[in-house]
Amino acid sequence: MITTPAISTDRLGKRYGSAWALRDCTLAVPAGSVTALVGPNGAGKTTLLQLVVGLGRATAGSVEVFGCDPQRDAGAVLPRVGFVAQEHPLYSGFTVAEMLKVGRKLNPGWDDAFALQRVQELSLPLGGKIGKLSGGQQAQVALTLALAKRPELLVLDEPVASLDPLARREFLSSLMEAVTETGVTIVLSSHILADLERVCDHLVILSRARTQLAGPIDEIVAEHRLLTGPRADVAEIARRHEVVTARHSERQTSLLVRSNGHVYDASWELHEVDLEEIVLAYLAQNRAEDPTLAMSA
Amino acid sequence: MIIFHLDQRSGVPTYLQLVQQVRQAVRLGILMPGDQLPTVKDVVGTLAINPNTVLKAYRELDHEGLVVARRGVGTFVADLQPSRPPDDLKALRTSLQRWVDRARAAGVGDEALADLFADTVRAERISRVA
Amino acid sequence: MIWVSWRRQRTEALIAAAVLLALAAFLVPTGLHMASVYHHDGLSTCLGPAGGASCDDTIQSFTDRFSSLNNLIAWTTLLPGLLGVLLAAPFMLEFEHGTHRLAWTQSVTRGRWIAGKLGLAVACALVAALILTLLLTWWHAPLVRLNGRMDNGVYDSEGIVIFGYTLFALGLATAVGAVWRRGVPAIVAGFAAYFAVRLFVDTWLRQRLMPPLTATWHLMVPDPRALRHALVLDEYPADAHGHHVLIPANECGAGRALKRTPGLGDCFARHGYFMHAVYEPASRFWALQGIETALFAAGGGILLAFAAWWTYRRV
Repeated sequence: MITTPAISTDRLGKRYGSAWALRDCTLAVPAGSVTALVGPNGAGKTTLLQLVVGLGRATAGSVEVFGCDPQRDAGAVLPRVGFVAQEHPLYSGFTVAEMLKVGRKLNPGWDDAFALQRVQELSLPLGGKIGKLSGGQQAQVALTLALAKRPELLVLDEPVASLDPLARREFLSSLMEAVTETGVTIVLSSHILADLERVCDHLVILSRARTQLAGPIDEIVAEHRLLTGPRADVAEIARRHEVVTARHSERQTSLLVRSNGHVYDASWELHEVDLEEIVLAYLAQNRAEDPTLAMSA
Repeated sequence: MIIFHLDQRSGVPTYLQLVQQVRQAVRLGILMPGDQLPTVKDVVGTLAINPNTVLKAYRELDHEGLVVARRGVGTFVADLQPSRPPDDLKALRTSLQRWVDRARAAGVGDEALADLFADTVRAERISRVA
Repeated sequence: MIWVSWRRQRTEALIAAAVLLALAAFLVPTGLHMASVYHHDGLSTCLGPAGGASCDDTIQSFTDRFSSLNNLIAWTTLLPGLLGVLLAAPFMLEFEHGTHRLAWTQSVTRGRWIAGKLGLAVACALVAALILTLLLTWWHAPLVRLNGRMDNGVYDSEGIVIFGYTLFALGLATAVGAVWRRGVPAIVAGFAAYFAVRLFVDTWLRQRLMPPLTATWHLMVPDPRALRHALVLDEYPADAHGHHVLIPANECGAGRALKRTPGLGDCFARHGYFMHAVYEPASRFWALQGIETALFAAGGGILLAFAAWWTYRRV
């Protein structure tokens, strides 16, 4: 039985003035997955996430959350989706308790017991003003707000960007505990690849407003191989497998290749590649049209 | 109770690290038959890893017979430790010993020996794509 | 939703309340003082049929005594603008701080959120306008009884126009803030625009809302009843048909203020001069108030609707 994907887009695009922030984006985020959204600044990550939660209107294509349009069917979609925007906006003049009250008043599905328990576990001061809390504490309040409405989909835009390593670890732990308890689908964008590798099982790479790669991380790692060998022409290999990047020195050639078969040329030596290398290769790929340029470190 | 740790740079998949740590804990007596493994939520809360990874590790251990998953209660170290039929392992060990002797006779040092072995195992795994 | 909107509005509402309280602290003692002088000097009897020639002087001295205070209080005509613009701030700041990304991803739809916030701002504005109107109307009462309420400076504190002004200022600031998305410049721009519109209406539009009436009479007889407490737009010597007459330099003491002395009256009669006035009678007070309030309130309503629409469509 095929379950409705949490998010499904079809050639989704958004234009601001004459510039396309997102273009031709088609992907499906399976329910129950933890998906990493990766890409350089300006790649379209925030645009995509905002379209998913109904904060923006698509210029082209469509987006569906659990089968509904997030803008037109906002009343049906909003209670099922939790969102933490970049910089985790909160009402800085409110106390933590008042902030939770906002959640309670604006969300029919609000679980107050859960919210209070979480706040207690994290030692967040109920009477403390939001503006006086540390970045990590504010992020946790924002996350509490999003989790306590018991969403089926949680969308986070760079949630850990401004946090110190400990706060980051605690935030991600909280997220994973939520997934364990409720099976909530998570989509989070981030720069920090090491974090994402621990936490995510799906990946979407965005660069220059387009999707470069999307799929389960297991499959992605299994499908990519590094080929090394004496300096050679790429054309032969490129006919049979997708060459992501190629790098040449005087005597050696090194290729990152994507394949779903396992027939290789005997003249090439095979290596596995870890996720970070794969992601960097796809991101670097766009920096230069010339495939003979070096991969970034 | 076992405390898990994760080495992201080791190149070993996370779930496998958990499996190996449980096996070692059982071997060393840190985990005794009947002991409960940490709940998925606990592991996930401490390590900040995907719960599916933990589930995969526990499933693997269950499959090996090292642990038993009791629905709604938890995952426990199995009472009876399954052992490989001693004959299988014994035969492998003997042929491996002969190989090591041959390599030493050819003047291959310990490090080169280990490299050779690891490379061969790896190459076999890699050529089996996806 | 109501609690959230109110809690977000609370600071600005309290500032508005503080302003009104400060105003009351000034108006109440001075108003009580003025009222007591009014009764002490027996001005109420002057207005009745028993009033005689000395009453004119009594009234004049009373008016003179409180004229500087009255001029000071005339500045309160800016308050509806200040209060309206202040109450527009919470709506604008929501976007400046990016917290709308929080508000619009709870379970409340955008439309409901906008309606709730703006609705509460309007309610607060109306309450502030009510308090302001009551305070000022009470304070002006003695002066109004003596000189009527048609004159600029009193007119815009009486009746219902303050409601219109406040709503208009609220709508203006909200609309500017919705488009510009920067709180402080929007507030300043909103207030400046309010001031400009008020100036335009006060000095030009108000007297054209209903075509003014005219009256021509002999200087010797008492002023026509209709001119009592009226807004006199123009007053000049004229011929019998009401056309302006330029009195030659050495006739009837032209150039000096037209004091109604018996001598001047005779001079005018001999030369066939009349007094002519263009005015809006006091009887039109409510009609004019109604039109002006309706214009401002409608303007404010349209601007609020625009702000709501613009925000709703915002991508």
